Amino acid sequence: MSGKHLTHDNDQPAPYGDPDTVHSIYRECIEETKPVPTRERTFLAPRLKGIHHLDIGYSKVVTASPGMILDNLYNFYDGVKDTLHEWWLRLCPRPTAITGTDFRGSSIVGRTTYAGRHDHDKPIHHLRVELWGRTWWLGWRRLAEGYSGFDGRFELPYDLRAARSSAIRKIRAEISQTTYRFDRHGNRSRSFSLAVALPIKKSDLVGMRYDLRDIQIELWCYRPDCYIPRVKIDDLQHEAPEKYVEGRNEAITDQFIPVELIKLKHVTMLRADPNALTIEEIQADYPPNLTTCIEARLPGYSRSDEFFGERMMNGMNALTFEPIDGEEHRYRVVNWGYQGYDHNNVYAFPTTEMDFEILPGDHAPRPLQITITGALSAFEHDPDQKRTFYPTDGERWLQAKRVARSVGGLISEVDDHFARTHVNVEQYAIAANRNLRLNPVTWLLLPHLKEVSLIDHTADRMLISQEAGYIPRASALTEKGLKHRVRDALGMMNWKGYRPMPVINDHHYYARAENLFWDITYEYISEFFEHNAADIRAYWYEIFAMSEDLVSHSVPAFDREAHLRGLEGRAYEVASRRLNYWTTRFDHQPQMPTGSYGGEPRALSPITQAKDFAQADPDDWENLKEMCCYAIHHATFLHSWVNEHQHDDIGEVLYSCLGLRFGEHPDGVMHPESDHRIAPDPLRATQMLWWSNLLSRTEYGAITKNPDGDVNPRFGELLKAHEAEFRSYGVLVDNIESRTNI
Amino acid sequence: MNTTHQQSWTGELLADWLRRGKDFAVLWVVAKVFAFSVALFASLMLKRRMSHDNGIAARGTVRILDNPAIPLHRFFLPERTFPCRIRHATATFLDDAVKGIRSMSIKFSDDHLESPFDLQMNTGERSLFWSAASFLQFARLRKQKWGVEYRDYYRKYPDGLSGAIEALRENPESFSDLRYYCKTPFLYIGEDHTLRYAKYRVVPAKMGTRETGILQSPDPLEIPNQRVAAHNPNGRNYLKYEYRDRLEKGSVNYLIQIQLRTAAADEDPEIFNNMKPWDEEIHPWHDLAEIEITEAYDWVESCKTTFHVGNMPETLGAIPAKSIHDYNSLNYMRAHSAIAHKARLLNYRLFGYPPEIPDNDNRNWSDWEKPHRILNRSYDLPPKN
Repeated sequence: MSGKHLTHDNDQPAPYGDPDTVHSIYRECIEETKPVPTRERTFLAPRLKGIHHLDIGYSKVVTASPGMILDNLYNFYDGVKDTLHEWWLRLCPRPTAITGTDFRGSSIVGRTTYAGRHDHDKPIHHLRVELWGRTWWLGWRRLAEGYSGFDGRFELPYDLRAARSSAIRKIRAEISQTTYRFDRHGNRSRSFSLAVALPIKKSDLVGMRYDLRDIQIELWCYRPDCYIPRVKIDDLQHEAPEKYVEGRNEAITDQFIPVELIKLKHVTMLRADPNALTIEEIQADYPPNLTTCIEARLPGYSRSDEFFGERMMNGMNALTFEPIDGEEHRYRVVNWGYQGYDHNNVYAFPTTEMDFEILPGDHAPRPLQITITGALSAFEHDPDQKRTFYPTDGERWLQAKRVARSVGGLISEVDDHFARTHVNVEQYAIAANRNLRLNPVTWLLLPHLKEVSLIDHTADRMLISQEAGYIPRASALTEKGLKHRVRDALGMMNWKGYRPMPVINDHHYYARAENLFWDITYEYISEFFEHNAADIRAYWYEIFAMSEDLVSHSVPAFDREAHLRGLEGRAYEVASRRLNYWTTRFDHQPQMPTGSYGGEPRALSPITQAKDFAQADPDDWENLKEMCCYAIHHATFLHSWVNEHQHDDIGEVLYSCLGLRFGEHPDGVMHPESDHRIAPDPLRATQMLWWSNLLSRTEYGAITKNPDGDVNPRFGELLKAHEAEFRSYGVLVDNIESRTNI
Repeated sequence: MNTTHQQSWTGELLADWLRRGKDFAVLWVVAKVFAFSVALFASLMLKRRMSHDNGIAARGTVRILDNPAIPLHRFFLPERTFPCRIRHATATFLDDAVKGIRSMSIKFSDDHLESPFDLQMNTGERSLFWSAASFLQFARLRKQKWGVEYRDYYRKYPDGLSGAIEALRENPESFSDLRYYCKTPFLYIGEDHTLRYAKYRVVPAKMGTRETGILQSPDPLEIPNQRVAAHNPNGRNYLKYEYRDRLEKGSVNYLIQIQLRTAAADEDPEIFNNMKPWDEEIHPWHDLAEIEITEAYDWVESCKTTFHVGNMPETLGAIPAKSIHDYNSLNYMRAHSAIAHKARLLNYRLFGYPPEIPDNDNRNWSDWEKPHRILNRSYDLPPKN
């Protein structure tokens, strides 16, 4: 996705010159600050092995020449090994035909179950099970194949004579996950990723049933220690339930190394001398972003009301505007700050309420007032102090907008980016990966849910952790506060009844693009369901099991009454306003029936409560479509939007950051940009710019490009058919990523 | 074209013939090696049978019944009477009180070895193994220790486990009330020269006799544990004593029943599978003969009494086997075990009979042990001053 063009109101003054000129500068800056194209690799270019080797301090990048030479040698060795492996696979192909003629009397039986303390007896259904024989001359013989049943049990008949053939040297049973790929014509093929391989002594096969017993597999297990549904990953390198595709790692290496080197240089200099760099020097080292580009060509415009309203409506924040009762064209936006959440006393994170005038037609919002509640300086920590600023307040108004931008930046990062797309999508990814295998919904949903668990795992360390994460060290929220806030946010999110943001006027490009994408996704899903109805019904049990996992592991529903019970006075008021904020922000519908688990209402509604489609409620079919649409929408469009606008909106330290420091002045954060004591310190500043570049400029896996061939090309075709309309909203369909992977 | 087809057909025939030849050769070698090993290492060296050392023999008569439902066979002529000898035993352990398989073997003669017709049967309608190959696994995976055995076998082979659940008997009241099945079928070629297959079983002659010792709600995980429970009051020889006492009071009567099915040209090999009982609706049990046992033998005679699957008329003998995976290979192996019997009898002759099982507290034991001997030596104490 790209930025959006501005439309200038005829009734507004144009202090920055001709509106067309402003518009063309805006467009040019969007083009100029797009992600850099893939760089060429050279022999002695620095190397980054993968996303999980990134760190806000020193990422594991090979930069020294001897290291690069060794790395190249290793890569050469790796390449040769891969080539030999591929050659070997071609030399010893695995036949599709099953060897044998008489399959009576002998079979392999067993049961696939989850592993671990909490799941160890729970069956895993529909896993692929195959029995393979390896000949003395290293060929393969397929002896039996099948799938585990609903109860995880399988029975694979095999030909005893074929299995005991003297040509066969050893035998093994393989348990695999099923994945799907598409060619450019939309033809689907299956592939299997091996989960477990169990050797079987040939002499043990003596006919009748041979029992492999319970085969325990750590497959997409839930973390037992987590406050929200997360997947258990003990070792990202070796024990993760999935891996990044090679292209993802290559893309980040190619696109991000220059930025990584800048940050490494800064970190090294600042560790030696914290004052070695100024914020201006740091900013200048990084590629320009939208605001620095505009500021260089139209000084002051990026801090203008016009630009402020535009970005609040169609930028990273994409705020939810609530009409103000009794006031025509007046809208209010609340960005809830630290109140109610654990925080530190270094950074400001007040609640900001912004009133806008939004006229019908193609008009950007015009800010009218900003009310800030909470501490703004190191000297006044009263969380209830409330101050209102107006456009006529001059410098104060500029400072208030800066505070509002920074609060908005942190909220977008935590609520919209991390909670709404990353961990929200992860709960669907876990449930889907645990349960979908033969149902056609598998190849509809899984391509959009892959890799999110991996990036979330990395985010735990780089973004959330109190010791090593960026947010607790560069903003007011502590790790505890973050987790509490994310849990509250998830408690408000439900697939059922979700609708895209209502469009306020013609200029509301974000909402129009979101609605368009939602409609296309729904059309794609409806078409898909129509074509695959029989199989979706036949394997309905997988939907039931997915629904059970979704509901039982979702966070407790955000119970308004329970949260307000026992509170009085100011505490009641704060809690009540906080709940209102969440309800508005995530379009929460308290009346929507949700599931329950352990006697406690849960945030998510069940898709179905029937194991068999014949017993399913008539609404269940629509529920499934709605859930698929929600998951795909959040994993693709919503994530792409918030992610790719980070560089535009938090890519200039002094324009907006995730946390303004209270500084040393009595006015605290209400001070000019030139006071660097309230800006992030240089180390945080370079880390912030690194972050915004990382998130916005390392794209991989667009739906229309479909580099891994896992997305049904039909989805891309539908999006392409609306390319012009998307472009009119400032969205490039070729930039909408198919999944949440950064 | 025709020549190519013919060559291909000939080639396949030759390959099939070679395969069959190899399979049979393996079976023959396995049977011979196994029998020789048992003869050498168990029978000759340790006075051991394969498994059923702990038993009691008895004698009586067997009378063939006039049952028109059974096709006439020249050996089973109606009203024909034979002296007979039977032997009841508890498998594996030298302790009647273990949770174990019980057996009954019948000879149609009162000789310890020779006979025109022998039957060997165990409790349970299904077996614990189904072919020579599975029997070798069964033997290899016994791993008995302190009364617990076959754990690994049961874990790998659920059919073996279900066979054990069906065959094991826990504290039966008497050998005489149990049902014994000869699970692997035999040939039955009667006077009509029609090829049939036969299975035999023995039930108490008195209708309605309750079978005791059947496992109630068995826990599959506990099946390998055949140990005598601590609270079990039964001694190591309680079943043998009970049987001897019963015979002292009067005869014990059994009924031999036969189940028949006519052979088909395209026979499904599964009909020979001893894990799959034949449908009694289609192949009902018919009364074949009555046994009346009148006198129990002593320990020495019980030890000597030996049964062999080869002791059968040709038309009632074992069904030919083709490979170690053939279900009929079990009887093939049994037929090759004569050398082991002879080795054991030779040991008895050279070194004496094994000691009787003592009524001591050495429970769950499966090796011979001699009871303490009374030394009967006297000595004088030095006079006190």
